[in-house]
Amino acid sequence: MDIVLNSVEIFDKRSPYHGKRKNVHIKNGVITSITSQKVKARQTVDAKGLKLSIGWFDVGAHFGDPGFEHKENLESGRSLAEKSGFTGVAVLPNTNPVVQSKNEVSYITSNNKNELIQLYALGAVSANTEGKELTEMIDLHHAGAVGFTDGFNPIWHTDILLKTLQYLQKFDGLLINRAEDRMLTMFGSMHEGTQSTLLGLKGMPGLAEEVMVQRDLRLLDYAGGRIHFSNISTAGSVDLIRKAKKKGLAVTCDVAVHQIAFSDKALEDYDTNFKVNPPFRENGDIKALIKGLKDGTIDLIVSSHCPQDEESKNLEFDLADFGIIGLQTFMSVIKGHYQDLSLEELIQGFTTRPREILGLPLPEIKVGSQADLTLFDPDKKWDYTLESNLSKSRNSPFLGKTLTGKSVGVFNNGKVYLDEGL
Amino acid sequence: MQQLSSKHLLGIKDLTTSDIELIFETADNFKEVINRPIKKVPSLRDITIANVFFENSTRTKLSFELAEKRLSADVVNFSSSNSSVKKGETLLDTVNNILAMKVDMVVLRHSSPGAPHFLARHIKANIINAGDGTHEHPTQALLDTFSIREKLGDVAGKKVAIIGDILHSRVALSNIFALQKLGAEVMVCGPNTLLPKFIGNVGVKVELDVKKALKWCDVANVLRIQMERQQIKYFPSLREYTLYYGINKQLLDALDRPITIMHPGPINRGVELNSDVADSEHSIILNQVENGVAVRMAVLYLLAGIASDN
Repeated sequence: MDIVLNSVEIFDKRSPYHGKRKNVHIKNGVITSITSQKVKARQTVDAKGLKLSIGWFDVGAHFGDPGFEHKENLESGRSLAEKSGFTGVAVLPNTNPVVQSKNEVSYITSNNKNELIQLYALGAVSANTEGKELTEMIDLHHAGAVGFTDGFNPIWHTDILLKTLQYLQKFDGLLINRAEDRMLTMFGSMHEGTQSTLLGLKGMPGLAEEVMVQRDLRLLDYAGGRIHFSNISTAGSVDLIRKAKKKGLAVTCDVAVHQIAFSDKALEDYDTNFKVNPPFRENGDIKALIKGLKDGTIDLIVSSHCPQDEESKNLEFDLADFGIIGLQTFMSVIKGHYQDLSLEELIQGFTTRPREILGLPLPEIKVGSQADLTLFDPDKKWDYTLESNLSKSRNSPFLGKTLTGKSVGVFNNGKVYLDEGL
Repeated sequence: MQQLSSKHLLGIKDLTTSDIELIFETADNFKEVINRPIKKVPSLRDITIANVFFENSTRTKLSFELAEKRLSADVVNFSSSNSSVKKGETLLDTVNNILAMKVDMVVLRHSSPGAPHFLARHIKANIINAGDGTHEHPTQALLDTFSIREKLGDVAGKKVAIIGDILHSRVALSNIFALQKLGAEVMVCGPNTLLPKFIGNVGVKVELDVKKALKWCDVANVLRIQMERQQIKYFPSLREYTLYYGINKQLLDALDRPITIMHPGPINRGVELNSDVADSEHSIILNQVENGVAVRMAVLYLLAGIASDN
């Protein structure tokens, strides 16, 4: 590898070159120069109009491998992530078998040395993510698990949550919980509100999320440790987490990228591509989420990539499964729906912050560093169609739309991927 | 010929007020027809209608079938109350199979809200929603409002209380939409656990005390307690429900004026409605049944008109 990106805008607030257009030379996986001078290299890319950030990182994508390979597998997930601008992905443990021993961790991570995309395992907190028996989390940690979560399954058992917070402190481990009191969302298929009343669908109240956030924060205050809420969705949750942060509790959280894009009004036609958990809520919630991103209450923006096959989605609304695929449209959704927020701030939420929270080394854009980079064009228009879709699944409300904003290449682990035509 | 604004009847929400008025005028004519010695007209000759019922139903199905036969349509019936039908291909496949036999219209009852909308996206036939889960039951609301119009002369300005299990009812939502479009005031009444939390946002009054609801209204539309559609316990016992929400003659006698009593059937006699009310002169429950056939004839006739024009 011997590539120079000519006239690329460096997009990393920590770099002295931030906002400047430079020629960046990458040789054998290392950034060898950042300069305004002409650089000779085997391959020259005219990168005028493109931005260069450190590699994007996603927390909590679901690749379904093993067990659900017909929806996505590690290979398709890797290829999808690479072409969507990501260089690292921490995947959910909700596979079959569940990621709950070092074997499953190494199944996910073993190929990393040969691949551009680095996959990280999130280990299950409880056996089969059932919330009853703790997994061997110290052993999982030593095998490489970067965080602990029951993924789609909220940790409903109060004492299991308490014990996990306590147990993980030995190695400052991170507990990730999806806040949802399932007793309050039972049989629900969308947000509870006027819209669910009009559609005759059983609702999932925002309250179900908030009571669990509140409970968990109280337990965190008592036990210590670190907790991260994945996919928060309500104004109330943002409020509770903001207050807890002020108080000094070690809490972080993320929002699914699509959560800002739609309200419950989008479900008008019973299109199951809008069926997602947490559900699309109301405009007030969306506003609160944006405010939470602005003031730093919300740390991460995640793809919440959840592939579902045709048989799980092309159904009556209440029978269909939850989930949206989110990696490929990630930048476009941010460009299309996060307009009040500056990309400069937002990008922390999928570059530096996730690595900090998971305790992973931070890549840098400086001479001598390993190249862990994403090259992207925030203004590029592209058609998201069945043909251009890279996931094995197609459960996206954005299919068929012309979108704006796209990554065009990534560098990592001595390897490079560049879109054709660059 | 005047036409409806849609080729399907998925819900009252999608109908305009003039659609409803057109259905009523057409139903007036058919009501006259079904009271003739020869009750059959040739309007839908050569039209084939499939009644596809994924949920148990006796009277709605009977009423549709009768309406179809009085219009000389060819009728096929498919029933499956098999609740283990989990995958939608079954719905789609079943209906596609029926359509492959050249069916023009589908009358669908299904336990999933939006099932007829789902089907409308996938198949060409006209679809009539005969009840989709806890969402809508448009022909029921049409016959209910038609019956109010018949009994009281007009729907506009009337006060209608819908009493009972609003949460699990498709009749309630369709009635609310129809009554509002026709200018009536609507109240819902029941135990708070059986009222959708946000029902107040759709422009209805909410009342927890059945005595107050009866005092307020001109018409009480009493709903069946849907034990079969309740997946979780919403009230402690039928006994308590009957004691505090059941409607009996004593309650009605205590009012300062008579009110009209309706029920979509089948009645749980002695639970939500006592026999001394159900069978009283103020009850129009059997008129509802009779009007059901006329209203369904009107809907089928008008939709078939659109189908043949296409």
